[in-house]
Amino acid sequence: MKLYKIFIYTVLILLAVTVAVPVLWVFFASFKENSEFYGDPWTFPKGLYFKNFVDAWTDAHMGDYFLNSVTVTLMAIAMLLILALPCAYALSRFSFKGRTLVKGLMMGGLFINVSYIVVPIFLMLTDLGKLLETSFFLNNHFILALIYASTALPFTVYLLQSYFSTLPAAYEEAAAIDGASPFVTMLRVMLPMARPAVITVILFNFLSFWNEYIIALTFMTKDSSKTLPVGLMNLMKAQNAAAEYGKMYAGLVMVMLPTLILYICVQKKLTHSLAVGGVKG
Amino acid sequence: MKKFIALMLCTVLCVSSLASCRRNESSNDPNTLKVAVLESAYGSEMWEKICDEFEKLNGGMTVELTAEKNLEDVIGAQMKGGDYPDVVHLATGREAALTETLIKDEALTDLTEVFEMTIPGEDTKVSDKLIPGFTDTLATNPYKDKKTYLAPMFYSPCGLFYDADLLEDNGWKVPESWDEMWELGDEAKKKGIYLFTYPTAGYFDAFIYALLAESGGIDFYNDVMNYKEAVWDTPEATRVLNIIKRLADYTEPTTVANSTGDNYLKNQQLVLDGKAIFMPNGTWVVGEMEDAPRREGFRWGFTALPAIEEDRYSFTFFEQCWIPKEAKNKTAAKEFIAFLYSDKAAEIFASYGAVQPISDITDSLDGDNKLFYSVYEDGAKAVMGGFAATEAVAGVSIYDTLFESINSIMTGDKTVDTWKNEIIAASDKLRDNLK
Amino acid sequence: MKKPRAFIFFCIAPALLLFLVFMVYPTISVFVMSLFKWGGYSTSRAFVGIDNFKALLSDTRFIGSFKNTVILLVLVTAFTLVAALWCANTLTRENIKAKGLFRVIFYIPNILSAVVIAAIFSAIYDPSSGLANSFLSLMGISPVMWLGNRDIVIFSIAIAMIWQATGYYMVMYMSSMAAIPESLYEASDIEGASRSSKFFKITLPLIWTNLRTTLTFFIISSINISFLLVRAMTGGGPDGASEVFLSYMYDQAYTNSSYGYGMAIGVVIFVFSFTLSAIVNLITKREPVEL
Repeated sequence: MKLYKIFIYTVLILLAVTVAVPVLWVFFASFKENSEFYGDPWTFPKGLYFKNFVDAWTDAHMGDYFLNSVTVTLMAIAMLLILALPCAYALSRFSFKGRTLVKGLMMGGLFINVSYIVVPIFLMLTDLGKLLETSFFLNNHFILALIYASTALPFTVYLLQSYFSTLPAAYEEAAAIDGASPFVTMLRVMLPMARPAVITVILFNFLSFWNEYIIALTFMTKDSSKTLPVGLMNLMKAQNAAAEYGKMYAGLVMVMLPTLILYICVQKKLTHSLAVGGVKG
Repeated sequence: MKKFIALMLCTVLCVSSLASCRRNESSNDPNTLKVAVLESAYGSEMWEKICDEFEKLNGGMTVELTAEKNLEDVIGAQMKGGDYPDVVHLATGREAALTETLIKDEALTDLTEVFEMTIPGEDTKVSDKLIPGFTDTLATNPYKDKKTYLAPMFYSPCGLFYDADLLEDNGWKVPESWDEMWELGDEAKKKGIYLFTYPTAGYFDAFIYALLAESGGIDFYNDVMNYKEAVWDTPEATRVLNIIKRLADYTEPTTVANSTGDNYLKNQQLVLDGKAIFMPNGTWVVGEMEDAPRREGFRWGFTALPAIEEDRYSFTFFEQCWIPKEAKNKTAAKEFIAFLYSDKAAEIFASYGAVQPISDITDSLDGDNKLFYSVYEDGAKAVMGGFAATEAVAGVSIYDTLFESINSIMTGDKTVDTWKNEIIAASDKLRDNLK
Repeated sequence: MKKPRAFIFFCIAPALLLFLVFMVYPTISVFVMSLFKWGGYSTSRAFVGIDNFKALLSDTRFIGSFKNTVILLVLVTAFTLVAALWCANTLTRENIKAKGLFRVIFYIPNILSAVVIAAIFSAIYDPSSGLANSFLSLMGISPVMWLGNRDIVIFSIAIAMIWQATGYYMVMYMSSMAAIPESLYEASDIEGASRSSKFFKITLPLIWTNLRTTLTFFIISSINISFLLVRAMTGGGPDGASEVFLSYMYDQAYTNSSYGYGMAIGVVIFVFSFTLSAIVNLITKREPVEL
């Protein structure tokens, strides 16, 4: 019995260390001077070389990209919630013609990988742009956010819908008896109850939008409209040129930090809401 | 269907177009020249200066410069959507192979007349200044029709880089033949130093090209580049493959592990640390490793490949500059390319270490570069070009088969026979699809 | 309840429309493009029927990438599942100090971008100064070329993927385990049930539905994440030994100027993951346990 406890703690602590060490390592690396990167990667930095961050933020425009990333991510999440919440709610609460079809399509959408549809989306929008004689679709953060939101729909609707179906119908029935319209019921009664699921959706999608690279690269062709991961990639791709490790790791930290902070803020609520397809399915 | 989607999208968009909306500047202006260049080891500053100079020469002309380290990613999508730069500086042999793709798709403009143009601001023709031979290669005339589609830029001799001080310290001579090379390898092994390392398998391109020329002469080399039938079944070709096989015994053992992904700098570090003697590379390696720590007394050395029989060869790598077929402003684009060979431009490039293939330029070089560019004066012969253009063949790539396989040769996972048969198979398929 | 038709329509239509425009239509065009030979830039596209698919059958690199994808799917799913279940069960059922802290830490790898993970593991796998080989040399084992050995490289990638995924699934399982009423365990305590029998008789059947759902996620995310990691860590090398579905698709569609062929690979990926999920769903079907 005692032995098993010791075993448990040993394993848990070991696992925790394997996670913590590499992450701390990235932070340490971001304070190293360029010449320190050629030796043993596991030494501590000789000093706190903050210039990496300054260089990355201003010279490599990571500051501008940071702002772009914030704009796009926030817009995309807002759009996603506006689109997905009513859709998931209707799918889980009402039976209507074509419901199975819509559900099935959305489920199938889970298997579509952005990596191979990005060029077709791009061609579709540029064709449309030519048709309308506008370059509105490129370098537009709104369009990028719209694509993010649209491609995240299957997963989000799936997650929200399975959460809605675990909620008891009694509240809505009561609201209906009071004469509330379905819209009001959804807004006032169901959405507050779905808060934990919404938090999960926000966290998951924040992570994927914030880190997204392929779509952003394709649609943000102008330097001024790039997002953070695209900027980071440009810091890294330096074939045949002197590598700027310090800047690169500072960039990595800039990408990583907001996700870490958000996660730590919402992690308590996460566990309670994650019963995807829950016990009651 | 398209119309329907267009309509629906418009409604969605119109409602919200007040959100962020950054518009592209119009791209059809005849006074705007869009130049897209790869930001390589030489940096992007020199290109800014070049564009300024060109603008000065052509009053009213605006040059829009895009300089990116991952240029393929940036302009690749733009071009798919029909937005083409007017001038692109991007070499073949890069991992993303965008230039190769455009060659295969016949999407480049014929530049032959550029070389008959008078250089802007000077009174000489481009072809008179160009070092002879540079526009007779498959890297500039990919379709073998005497027409030049890619302008040669920034040349640099390729060969073996080493630490001259390490050899002197140990009383070793730079080997001139492969026999001497193996002897040195055995000697060095006794001291715990490996003879050879390489950054990535891709760096074997220049190495194998030069070896092929050494083994069978220039005609043989050209046969290989044109996928001539049975050319890989000759003793000359087998000899080349066997040299690579033998090198495996002398190669630093962590090389393969570090040759993938972004770890190749660790292999170059081996030479700086005195753990391995030779590596195939190009002149850019000096700038690339500028910040890296090194063995005390380290001094760059550079040599052509050791001879198989008598002749020693050094492959001349050069980058390329081209005009997409769909470019809007071709006249100005051609002027711009011609200008790249002017004394003014060459001087700007040279001050950042980039050497244009025009005569008399090597006289003005100094330091390490003088050593590198003197390799041809020291008796090595030059070989240039690359494989002939073919239609794209799904699943078949000569680069993967010929060069990537070397990682497997090094680890012993592939025999020379299998390798040879794979090369023959790939070569056969590509021959049927030659342009 | 009466059906509020207009309400349902306005709830579903916007999401459905965008889904059709940005996902279904592009997917259809992927299917269409897979029947063409097109380099990506020229204006000529030649219809070649199912030639692209025929060529796939004899393309050894594609078969290699297929094999690697399957290896990763099986290995990563098996190990992650066991590790995540064990962690979740231990953190829920055992009386452990600093539970919350462990939970927070274990989840962190999942929020890191693939670039960070690749950088971390490249440093761990470094042949001379990496943590992995330093550890081996302490135990007197000669260094292993984690990313340089054809036979090992795919397992090195698998380790990075397991490291990345365990926390995510652990949190998922924990949340459904938390919903199991304590009274069930108390009852079996009276019967003197062992730890393992409680796990297999109570916990596992009650989280089964959730577990089944995660199997689909395993399939989808393994295909995606293996691509991101392979691209950043090995570029598919050495000599194609770590090539996976999506990395090979990229290689063909963009680098080898065979866009149509690349899209044919995309079709295979879609059909493969869809079919596999359907099969897994079918064979894991159990009568749901009622509480």
